Amino acid sequence: MAVLTSIRKSLGFITKRESFSKILLGTGCLSNVPENTVYGGPKPQDPNQRVTLTNLRQKHKKGEPITMVTAYDYPSALHLDTAGIDICLVGDSASMVVHGHDTTLPITLEEMLVHCRAVARGAKNPLLVGDLPFGTYESSTHQAVDTAVRILKEGGMDAIKLEAGAPSRITAAKAIVEAGIAVMGHVGLTPQAISVLGGFRPQGRNVAGAVKVVETAIALQEAGCFAVVLECVPAPVAAAATSALQIPTIGIGAGPFCSGQVLVYHDLLGMLRHPHHAKVTPRFCKQYAHVGDVINKALLGYKEEVTSGSFPSSAHSPYKISAADVDSFSKELEKLGLSDAASAASAAAEKLKPLNNQV
Amino acid sequence: MAVLTSIRKSLGFITKRESFSKILLGTGCLSNVPENTVYGGPKPQDPNQRVTLTNLRQKHKKGEPITMVTAYDYPSAVHLDTAGIDICLVGDSASMVVHGHDTTLPITLEEMLVHCRAVARGAKNPLLVGDLPFGTYESSTHQAVDTAVRILKEGGMDAIKLEAGAPSRITAAKAIVEAGIAVMGHVGLTPQAISVLGGFRPQGRNVAGAVKVVETAIALQEAGCFAVVLECVPAPVAAAATSALQIPTIGIGAGPFCSGQVLVYHDLLGMLQHPHHAKVTPRFCKQYAHVGDVINKALLGYKEEVTSGSFPSSAHSPYKISAADVDSFSKELEKLGLSDAASAASAAAEKLKPLNNQVGEHQATK
Repeated sequence: MAVLTSIRKSLGFITKRESFSKILLGTGCLSNVPENTVYGGPKPQDPNQRVTLTNLRQKHKKGEPITMVTAYDYPSALHLDTAGIDICLVGDSASMVVHGHDTTLPITLEEMLVHCRAVARGAKNPLLVGDLPFGTYESSTHQAVDTAVRILKEGGMDAIKLEAGAPSRITAAKAIVEAGIAVMGHVGLTPQAISVLGGFRPQGRNVAGAVKVVETAIALQEAGCFAVVLECVPAPVAAAATSALQIPTIGIGAGPFCSGQVLVYHDLLGMLRHPHHAKVTPRFCKQYAHVGDVINKALLGYKEEVTSGSFPSSAHSPYKISAADVDSFSKELEKLGLSDAASAASAAAEKLKPLNNQV
Repeated sequence: MAVLTSIRKSLGFITKRESFSKILLGTGCLSNVPENTVYGGPKPQDPNQRVTLTNLRQKHKKGEPITMVTAYDYPSAVHLDTAGIDICLVGDSASMVVHGHDTTLPITLEEMLVHCRAVARGAKNPLLVGDLPFGTYESSTHQAVDTAVRILKEGGMDAIKLEAGAPSRITAAKAIVEAGIAVMGHVGLTPQAISVLGGFRPQGRNVAGAVKVVETAIALQEAGCFAVVLECVPAPVAAAATSALQIPTIGIGAGPFCSGQVLVYHDLLGMLQHPHHAKVTPRFCKQYAHVGDVINKALLGYKEEVTSGSFPSSAHSPYKISAADVDSFSKELEKLGLSDAASAASAAAEKLKPLNNQVGEHQATK
């Protein structure tokens, strides 16, 4: 403590608010932290900054639509944060859009936790919701609560989402809420259940199905859910569910009568343009950009410039060695028997000379 | 077998080339596979399709620059594949650009393997190289070989890359090559060593450092490496190393005299535009796009349309329920005591009617 106090005194100009770690960083005492690191030290979670369940309730009351988008890593989380999206869902859709599987089934809890942590590092404002992946919550209520706890404890999420096609899921949701974890339900097309559904098939298109959607949503509300996702159901069915609930509904492929909307990051950005993938772009998703095309052009540009030798130019070759050092270096190489290398070094220095201010 | 033969006979129009799994998919025998799946069954690796060490050797001989870019997941791998990039590196830079850490140190082997597998699913043409992450190959040659084996066996990669600042790394590289695994070396600024380097500092800027870069590269070649990455060294030093080696050099922040170039996916695409991150965009990286800006505009557009209610329009609300069913549904809801919901359903159906061809035509024909 004495060391810290003396350092603090000597850096008297630093206000009381500066954390000790910042001071230590400045004096180089934390030698394991690289210089110029962008991370300035641990920050407390600002309660005024993060979207909370209260904010969502207020939006719902005022009839303001809630926005939700999925994210799976640090950059996408940052993008959602910058754009001011309300809710950031770390979806098990990662299985398909990040890992390249055909379904959401293969992703494991460990993989989901890695995604959650990366997103938590990037998104400081949106409410963070993590999906419970297939196989981690169905066999018992006990398993469901354990998984939900891990998503919050190890994944850094604020809430969880689980797919609820069957009564046992409602029981699980209730137990998770009782454990103090906010739960977002999910009805309609529940992609983890494509085995019994027979594929990615919209639900609620006949009377029995439609009634089931509404009833399940109500049951989830009674279990304590703070919101319910409605996926791929006809708009009138979604309208009925939204009206029957006091909690907000977040729709995807469910028409315009929900309390909010959600889309998958890669789908809304047009990330994958290959005809092979055009087959699986959902019909209900509007593409707000064609990022896949932008990336393709950029990569082709890079390839062309490397192949033609125009990249890197001197503008992108910033590291210098003085002319004197180049000479000594060449001599050393000659001594090692590498005369071609020695000439190459001198020739390179010559080529760069007119552009090299230092020389 | 008899079952398969009879199915095959009955679907006689299918040529001999159709795999059995495709036939079974068509007849619905593989009930655990969802309909309309894009995956048509296991495909053999086409030896004519994947870039190999031989292809790279030929390019190097002809003086054709080699292109390399990093990728960390399925979509980025598909992008590299589509653009025809030679080498796809699953870099431990994932620790920074994907996971948001400040250094490449925190990423684990398990996390790298997940990245490798995702990339392997997406990139069928480029040579796939996986980085050995910090802490998985330094303590012994034995550990290094084990890690390299896992990267190929479980990660699906074609080769590995390891950072070689010290003699023990050269020994490790040799052992890995002897295990039958192609090794790409890495000298100059080796990001896993920032602890001793004192940060992300360019190397080889004085005589001793420059000689060390060249000597280490040569040692790696002698150990059996098929290429060497030169990171953040002055151009003359890279030129010397490239000249001294018979294997190709792949440069990053090392000037134009290398046999090829590599850049980090997110950096070359301008993925992160926030001023906070502008600080860490490397000076040697040219941005070939501003994807971060494109994404920001798209997300703001989505937010605006959801908030104003214009998304989703009927164009993006494709799932229909017939008018008759809507009526029955409303009645059921009334029975359940949900009369508001019943009205909401009918009102919604009414609003969508003029745009709903299915309903309109149905009514007209009555």
